Amino acid sequence: QIRPHNPPSGVSLYGRGHTTPLIDNSATSIHLTMNLSKSALTTLVGLISASSTTAFTPSASRAARSIASRGLSSVNTAWTRRAASTVSSSCRNVSGGTALKANVLKLTEPAKDLLPNVDVFIFDCDGVIWRGDSVIEGIPETLAKLRSLGKKMYFVTNNSTKSRAGYKKKFDSLGLSDVPAEEIFSSSFAAAAYLEQTKFKDSGKKVYVIGEVGIQEELDLIGVDHFGGPEDGGKKPDMGPGCKLDHDPDVGAVVVGFDRNINYYKIQYAQLCINENPGCEFIATNTDAVTHLTDAQEWAGNGSMVGAIKGCTGKEPTVVGKPSPLMIDYLCEKLGLDRGRICMVGDRLDTDVLFGTDNGLKSVLVLSGVTTEEKLLSQENTITPDFYADSIVDFFVDETAAVEAKA
Amino acid sequence: LPNVDVFIFDCDGVIWRGDSVIEGIPETLAKLRSLGKKMYFVTNNSTKSRAGYKKKFDSLGLSDVPAEEIFSSSFAAAAYLEQTKFKDSGKKVYVIGEVGIQEELDLIGVDHFGGPEDGGKKPDMGPGCKLDHDPDVGAVVVGFDRNINYYKIQYAQLCINENPGCEFIATNTDAVTHLTDAQEWAGNGSMVGAIKGCTGKEPTVVGKPSPLMIDYLCEKLGLDRGRICMVGDRLDTDVLFGTDNGLKSVLVLSGVTTEEKLLSQENTITPDFYADSIVDFFVDETAAVEAKA
Repeated sequence: QIRPHNPPSGVSLYGRGHTTPLIDNSATSIHLTMNLSKSALTTLVGLISASSTTAFTPSASRAARSIASRGLSSVNTAWTRRAASTVSSSCRNVSGGTALKANVLKLTEPAKDLLPNVDVFIFDCDGVIWRGDSVIEGIPETLAKLRSLGKKMYFVTNNSTKSRAGYKKKFDSLGLSDVPAEEIFSSSFAAAAYLEQTKFKDSGKKVYVIGEVGIQEELDLIGVDHFGGPEDGGKKPDMGPGCKLDHDPDVGAVVVGFDRNINYYKIQYAQLCINENPGCEFIATNTDAVTHLTDAQEWAGNGSMVGAIKGCTGKEPTVVGKPSPLMIDYLCEKLGLDRGRICMVGDRLDTDVLFGTDNGLKSVLVLSGVTTEEKLLSQENTITPDFYADSIVDFFVDETAAVEAKA
Repeated sequence: LPNVDVFIFDCDGVIWRGDSVIEGIPETLAKLRSLGKKMYFVTNNSTKSRAGYKKKFDSLGLSDVPAEEIFSSSFAAAAYLEQTKFKDSGKKVYVIGEVGIQEELDLIGVDHFGGPEDGGKKPDMGPGCKLDHDPDVGAVVVGFDRNINYYKIQYAQLCINENPGCEFIATNTDAVTHLTDAQEWAGNGSMVGAIKGCTGKEPTVVGKPSPLMIDYLCEKLGLDRGRICMVGDRLDTDVLFGTDNGLKSVLVLSGVTTEEKLLSQENTITPDFYADSIVDFFVDETAAVEAKA
């Protein structure tokens, strides 16, 4: 609902059940995602756009996407505060009509609301397909059903320690041998794809790798010369008087991926390459702060390796993994996909869902990983997926219910 | 000289370069003392304690310098914990760093662990494994650590992210440093960067250019900031330390900064004066002596 606020501050926006306004006079911009009937949408946008007494002016309004079955439109609109607020006390009151709220929809009718509108699913792996080393219950059957419906799918993971071929083995071991390596997009593959797109091989230069075998295998596949990686794990530089660490002036890029054998030798080697080799690139597979390397704990992620190199060079890396758009751009360009019919499915708001929303994709958050329902619906959370579900098994919840009803 | 009562000298690039004292330094310091000037020696290098640096000063022919005039960032970390009465909390400190920090924590009676003995550790990362951490760690202190490894990073991550109120303290954030005089070596900026990268938190920085060491000195010794002069070889740590804190500042060219870089268009940090080295604090005398001869 929009309710008039006491003068002279103008329009306040309240969410359902909230007693404090979602915005106040200190806000400089408002960005809302709302599910509205078309008539309510028309009323709202017209109301605010037309009125010169409002403190905010529309700055962006993305086209409404229909949620077909209910005649609702999902709208992202943004307003920025006008430079000189001329808000008067005469605010409009929307009487009766539709309750407007920024809610997050649980996926209850996937056969109507999701499956007909999506041709391609992009699945995050950890927390969606598996947890640590165990496949999540019901996943193999769900993927098989999606394939039988003709849906395409890709599996994206920010974990760079394995190559696509390495991940294929993991998929096989979890009973998902239908998944070919070409459907798997590890951030190790993303780094190689980036170097291929930017024609790194033509430079004749080398890559210094901080990371594990996954990156090395992917660089081999694109024929790029590289060194470093695990073999530098035991090295210590000589730091006696007058000593220096010699580095190869032909290193044209340092690729930093998760490395449980990170040490000072690698940090110093990367520092010398990035600071002293003209034009040397600093590429990061991902910047996740923590990650479920075992299912018993959150482990420091590649954010720490990348942080170490940022800390000694002062440079920002080119990030190839989620939520950078690189992997999506690569997929869409290579496969000619329509972004509006791609759905990103993940368990983390800030990497997976943001990856989707930032790139014009649909998005589903599943609660089978690290994000709880409470965190998703909390006031602090600003990232809104199109839907959320307990796990992707719920993509066929209607069928399951129907089968259970029969039995 | 008439306008300054107290000199604060950066060490590397001002007093010594790597392991060699810069020419003319012992005599210059002696002359300053004879004029009644007070002096302090500040270094962002946390690997040694004050007592440890005293030994370095002795070995370079500067035995006039007592440990109490030396302010290493290891000492600064301990001074910060003392000022904030950390010991009263009964909590422990997890140390990423070398013996300097540990020695300074011993001097203030704060319980600590980690440091060099964690250098060889690797966490078990098999299925179902987790790294156990002490819930009584109330602060993680991160200093330069040439034996940084994943065990230390994960341990610090768990303390900072899971122990309520656990502090993240950095001795300094220098990107590079002249650990040997032959090369610039990745500095504590990398160790601190690693912990920032897995926690998303900003540390409390105790070394230059944070004001902590200056505030400590001025408060403890009742000094008049306008009559203190900071002397260093780096614009972004030393000179900024001076200008940000209301001190006079002199940049010397005996370290990493060239005259070209100082005078370049991109440089926005301006000392009150610059000189080839602190030997030039007595250049009139030298010139007068040379003129007579």
